[in-house]
Amino acid sequence: MSDIEHKTEDSIPFFPDHIKTEFYVVLGVLAVVLIIAIVGMIKPIGLGEPADPLNTPLHVKPEWYFLALYQILKKIPPMVLGIQGKIIGVIFPIILVGLILIWPFLDNKPDKSKKIYRIRMAFVIIAVITIIALTIWGEVS
Amino acid sequence: MRFFSLKRFGLLAVLVVAVGLFIFITNHAQANTPVIGDQAIPAASPNWALAKDVSASPALVVTPPPAGQDSCLSCHILGQNKGMWTPLARWILFGGLGLVFVLGVYRSANTWVTRSPRKPFTNRAAGWIDDRYQVSEPLTKILKKPVPKYALRWFYCLGGITAFLFVVQGITGIFLAFYYKPTPEAAYTSIQYIETQVYFGSAIRAIHHWCANGMIVICVAHMLRVFIMGAYKAPRELNWVSGVLLLILTLVFGFTGYLLPWDQRAFWATTVGSEIAGAIPAIGNLALVFLRVGWNVTGETLSRFYGLHVIVVPLATVAFMAAHFLMIRRQGIAKPL
Repeated sequence: MSDIEHKTEDSIPFFPDHIKTEFYVVLGVLAVVLIIAIVGMIKPIGLGEPADPLNTPLHVKPEWYFLALYQILKKIPPMVLGIQGKIIGVIFPIILVGLILIWPFLDNKPDKSKKIYRIRMAFVIIAVITIIALTIWGEVS
Repeated sequence: MRFFSLKRFGLLAVLVVAVGLFIFITNHAQANTPVIGDQAIPAASPNWALAKDVSASPALVVTPPPAGQDSCLSCHILGQNKGMWTPLARWILFGGLGLVFVLGVYRSANTWVTRSPRKPFTNRAAGWIDDRYQVSEPLTKILKKPVPKYALRWFYCLGGITAFLFVVQGITGIFLAFYYKPTPEAAYTSIQYIETQVYFGSAIRAIHHWCANGMIVICVAHMLRVFIMGAYKAPRELNWVSGVLLLILTLVFGFTGYLLPWDQRAFWATTVGSEIAGAIPAIGNLALVFLRVGWNVTGETLSRFYGLHVIVVPLATVAFMAAHFLMIRRQGIAKPL
């Protein structure tokens, strides 16, 4: 628990120094928000057709951040190892989220070596590329 | 300290502009309601010629009371008194007395200033509160808490950006909720109304839409940063858990908010999404009925999603954000490798 305390020489006060840098970041984000607002005034986001429960469109898709999950569900074979594929496709992400949630308790060794860091980095890169690939696949299919 | 410092003036100007925008957006909308299926409705300019005719109509002509009843008012409305001296004498009398009064105030203000050094109102207000509640000492301790210098690198501000985007979403969401109607008959039309009639409505909807997507991206980036750097390790396990819950809440925000425009894309995305929830073994049907309020996506679903999106999820998010921040404050920012 030693890394909770900081030495005074390599630290800055929260106010005003740290708040000031945060304030500049907020100003930067606000500039982006302003650009979005101006673009939105010129070209509104708009709406599709009004909802019609009797008329199913050709390509039904969820939001982009659920597309990877939806693509797994769509492409999984109907039967895997004697269990319905759909159930596996739903259970798998739930277990994954549960694992992520309790990850600090599974990986609880205070290891700060460069090697572990590189392994985690590689894992993240592979996971992100997989999810992006699945999302693009879901978007074009 | 100069009274009109640039900083104070800038803060005041920002406040005035924000209040002005708030009043402008909440009080002004053009009167004609859009028609479904007709996207481009030109903003009709008011017909001033008609307004002039109306003001000249006999119904609006002011008739003075008879001279016998109130001679002064009657004469005033009819404009009969052409004498100059009475108003001039009044101006001189009351204006002169007013000037004497202003001079007296100025003199006594000067005397007051020379008696004790002038303290700005904010300082006096802060002192008044501190006399009663003794807040200045703990507040100084909170504000002067040292922050390590390595926390100034760019990838340490992703969490702060997410928090700021949440504030942006809250503000624009309140503006949208002022005009949005969560019923299947009116939802679509009310979004059209926001986009075409409400001043800055399309800008606010664009900000709400794009910042929602940006918030998810930056939230995930923040989580990956924490994961790669191993900042989730002891003693910060619960901070990671609250962070993952916040990410899930953000996704629930996205899922519930996507239905609200009530167009084809929203309707069928929700149908598909709740079907996925329905495929969970054991509790699937319960989850499906909870989300859809029935077996199909209907107006009841819209009401439920609106309630979740506007009340339940924001409250939960604020609670978890508070816990997240308090834990960071208590434990400090994790050391890099």
